[in-house]
Amino acid sequence: MADNWGFVLTAYGLAAVVLVAYWRRLVRREKELQGRRLASQPPRARPGVSEPLAPISGHPRSKPASRPPLP
Amino acid sequence: MIRPIGGVTLAALAAGLVMAFGVAPREATQGNVQRIMYLHVPSVWVAYLAFAVVLVASIAYLGRRSETADWVAHASAEVGVLFTGLTIATGSIWGKPTWGTWWTWDARLTSVSILFVMYLGYLLLRGMIEDRERGARYAAVVGIVAAFNIPLVHFSVYWWRTLHQPPSLMKPGPGTMPDVIVAALLVNFAAFSLLYVYFVAKRVRLLRREAEAAG
Repeated sequence: MADNWGFVLTAYGLAAVVLVAYWRRLVRREKELQGRRLASQPPRARPGVSEPLAPISGHPRSKPASRPPLP
Repeated sequence: MIRPIGGVTLAALAAGLVMAFGVAPREATQGNVQRIMYLHVPSVWVAYLAFAVVLVASIAYLGRRSETADWVAHASAEVGVLFTGLTIATGSIWGKPTWGTWWTWDARLTSVSILFVMYLGYLLLRGMIEDRERGARYAAVVGIVAAFNIPLVHFSVYWWRTLHQPPSLMKPGPGTMPDVIVAALLVNFAAFSLLYVYFVAKRVRLLRREAEAAG
């Protein structure tokens, strides 16, 4: 009987495409949910997002280390 | 925990391919097209496993109303449908060169198609009912009833005259296949079972996060 490699490759190729597509769908959905969860959290709870040190007043501020101690 | 399972699964799938194409010999009657068996038979094994898990998880859900049991049933049904679809497709591709036809309404092919449609209906039912608790309850009942089709699929080749051959491995009595072919099949069984565990674990985590996001 002929080997019919075309059928073998089609079967394995189809399985690979279907399984990878399902895996990618799971990963994409997971990322979507994670993004939505981060967006709904307050800034302080988000990793990598820090609060500003002081409210912006419009006046230049010296660095704390360069200030002389109070008499 | 899921990532290491994914790594092991990938290695097992690679080993399965090596066994199927590098170690297992060319079959004397069918030639190399018989290598589709190392994909087709483990796929149906995973489908059986998945629907058996749906049955157990559905009973657990109805008994204890545990959300985790419902997530496991849902995830397992989805993966089961995926692998049943693969079983039908790869069987059809294998059937063309060996039987001379892509499809025939023989008892095995028909019963496995009914199995596929039943669990597809199970997933549609879940999606259609907005009340989560009610949807889970109805789905659990369908998950239990649909499981009765699994023995029908498996034993259809004994109960009716079919074009599909009877099982060579999942049957009582001594095996008829050479050891090297059995070994290649077992490696692929293990790889596909790991893939099942990986997909279900990932899907359950996703369902939990979706439930948390919905409140």
